[in-house]
Amino acid sequence: MAAQGRYFLPRSALFVAAALDVSQDGETLLVQGADGLLAQVPRRAVTATSRLGNLRRKLEFPDGGGFETEDNDAIDALLRPRDGILHRLEKSWRMVLAAVLLSAAAAALFALYGVPATAGWLARRTPASVAGFVSRQTLEAIDGRLLKPTGLAAAEQQRMARLFRVMAASAPRGEIGYRLLPRDAPLIGPNAFALPGGEIVVTDQLVRLAQNDEELEGVIAHEMAHVDRAHGLQRIYQASLVPAAIAFITGDASQMGHIATILPGVLLQSAYSREFEQQADDDATAQMRRIGKNPARLGDLLERIEAKMCGVKGCLPSWLGSHPATAARAARLRRR
Amino acid sequence: MDHFSTGVSVAPSAPVRHEMRFEGTGGEYFRIWIVNLALTIVTLGIFSAWAKVRNRRYFYGNTFLDGHSFDYHGDPKRILLGRLIALGILLAYYLTAALTPLAGLLWVPVFLFAAPWLIRSSFRFNARNTSYRNIRFDFHGGYGGAFKAFILWPIGAVFSLGILAPISRRARDYYHINNHSFGGKWFNAVIPAGRLYLIYLLALAIVAVGVVFAFLVFSHSGIDFTHLPGKGEAPTPAMIGLFFLLSIIYLMTFLFLATFVGTLVFNLAVSCTRLDEDLHLESRLSPFAMAWILFSNLLLVLVTLGFFTPWAKVRATRYLASRLSMTGPATMEGFVASAAAPGSAIGEEVAGFFDFDFGL
Repeated sequence: MAAQGRYFLPRSALFVAAALDVSQDGETLLVQGADGLLAQVPRRAVTATSRLGNLRRKLEFPDGGGFETEDNDAIDALLRPRDGILHRLEKSWRMVLAAVLLSAAAAALFALYGVPATAGWLARRTPASVAGFVSRQTLEAIDGRLLKPTGLAAAEQQRMARLFRVMAASAPRGEIGYRLLPRDAPLIGPNAFALPGGEIVVTDQLVRLAQNDEELEGVIAHEMAHVDRAHGLQRIYQASLVPAAIAFITGDASQMGHIATILPGVLLQSAYSREFEQQADDDATAQMRRIGKNPARLGDLLERIEAKMCGVKGCLPSWLGSHPATAARAARLRRR
Repeated sequence: MDHFSTGVSVAPSAPVRHEMRFEGTGGEYFRIWIVNLALTIVTLGIFSAWAKVRNRRYFYGNTFLDGHSFDYHGDPKRILLGRLIALGILLAYYLTAALTPLAGLLWVPVFLFAAPWLIRSSFRFNARNTSYRNIRFDFHGGYGGAFKAFILWPIGAVFSLGILAPISRRARDYYHINNHSFGGKWFNAVIPAGRLYLIYLLALAIVAVGVVFAFLVFSHSGIDFTHLPGKGEAPTPAMIGLFFLLSIIYLMTFLFLATFVGTLVFNLAVSCTRLDEDLHLESRLSPFAMAWILFSNLLLVLVTLGFFTPWAKVRATRYLASRLSMTGPATMEGFVASAAAPGSAIGEEVAGFFDFDFGL
């Protein structure tokens, strides 16, 4: 019945071989040495470590003494109420299998639904003034550096403004909901992007690459969809949610900088981004059809951009990039 | 209790090396790890503090020196509190920095002055909650010392264009090591600057070799670099391939260098440390073995979607422990007889009110 182990003298690193037993009434723990009783301690005053793997169990006494033993079963029998549910879970292979499945399912659900839903919920509740503030800050950071004032001829600028007005009139927010910002961007090349406040930047390089009005209208419709669905804000929230969740669950702030922690976040972020691009393409297709225009033309422009930027080989593989593969996007846009 | 100290005052014998060893196994730890992870998920993160204590107890309790294991006593409730504070700060930073790039800058002074406090709190919390043979460790460093070691010295290293980097690193180690004590005995490190600089020079030499290697790859690739692709012209597949190859070489070199310097500096710092007068610590880690363990662990963790993590941690810890030792009297009884827990008995408030573990 008694547990064999070592008794540590009060507040000392010195120990003697001893056995731990419990008194008849169960209220007192008795430490027996070779020469007799070494200590007796009220059971309530003792703190004992819970069972964990094959670790030695340690008891701490109020006077700074202690007892340690490798005999886990004996100590569990002595301190019966404290046998530890956690150890029973950790010991059972069935519970371990359940834990594996639960963890994998939770991670998948969090990535597939948790993050997008939370980011979407937050984005919908973000006041318009905040979205406008983000837009101004972002523009301030890149205007004059990556973006230069437009170098398009006056006639070209007027044409763009006209196309933009027509598209805005048939978009959810109406004409006052969006603002066109034409910019020269030699470092970015042919591209367009939307800011959360409704500003839509279209680069001169893109306007020059387009071969007809419908291509540009498709681009504008695509960017307006990003604004309507608050994709910019959602992206910000997603970027904060993934690493914060990983750090909180795996448990270490120091894990934040580790590649194994960062990489899943980055890959997830580009997966969400591809989802957004497809939504915007679908919204643009619907809007173009509604006003009797051809959405397939946007696909032509996308293919031309890719040929110019990445050559015939194409750009990054789609599972890495922020956009779906151009061929797939073009095919979807051309779908009847 | 006189009879306990008999045999303590033996004649001084030849010093003996006591090897550290780790007795945990991956299979056993996997079960502990996954069950605690699942409970953390089920409780939406609340249980993470209890999980951390259990994980840590497993590693401390399986680390043995001279037949005795270490013990971890952290209170999960304090860890949870520290974690909630850290999470709050982190969220506030992420959101404000993402919404407005300029607000990110405003956080710099906050972090600058808060970091030393967080570091000191974590050091103290961990030391006071670690014990060996019934005696707790303690940490005595103050805020000023932490500010000097973790803020002022690194700034000095940057402004000296890296020349002071080894000394800055040493200031950090001194703050960490020389403020630790065990049962009233102090740890004391004296690290010769010359040997520290030698390690950094070795690292520079590796960088030089890497640069020469990259240059040779470039010049033998058969790509004509005098004719770079112009506007509207796509780079050739060979160029793209070479670019990827060089990016990977660059990343690997960087990771290897960080491990290489980190391991050698760790060896040096530990081997220059003694506890009290006649206990000498020693670390004999091989930087190549460390790099291989860390790299293959990272790869396996990524390939197994994280499930290899417990084996990776056990493997790294086992190697680390196998190369750590302490040289001193044949029996430690003489030393431990005079080491005693200061102040009040157990149950004392080991963690000060503002001591939290922030996972640093």
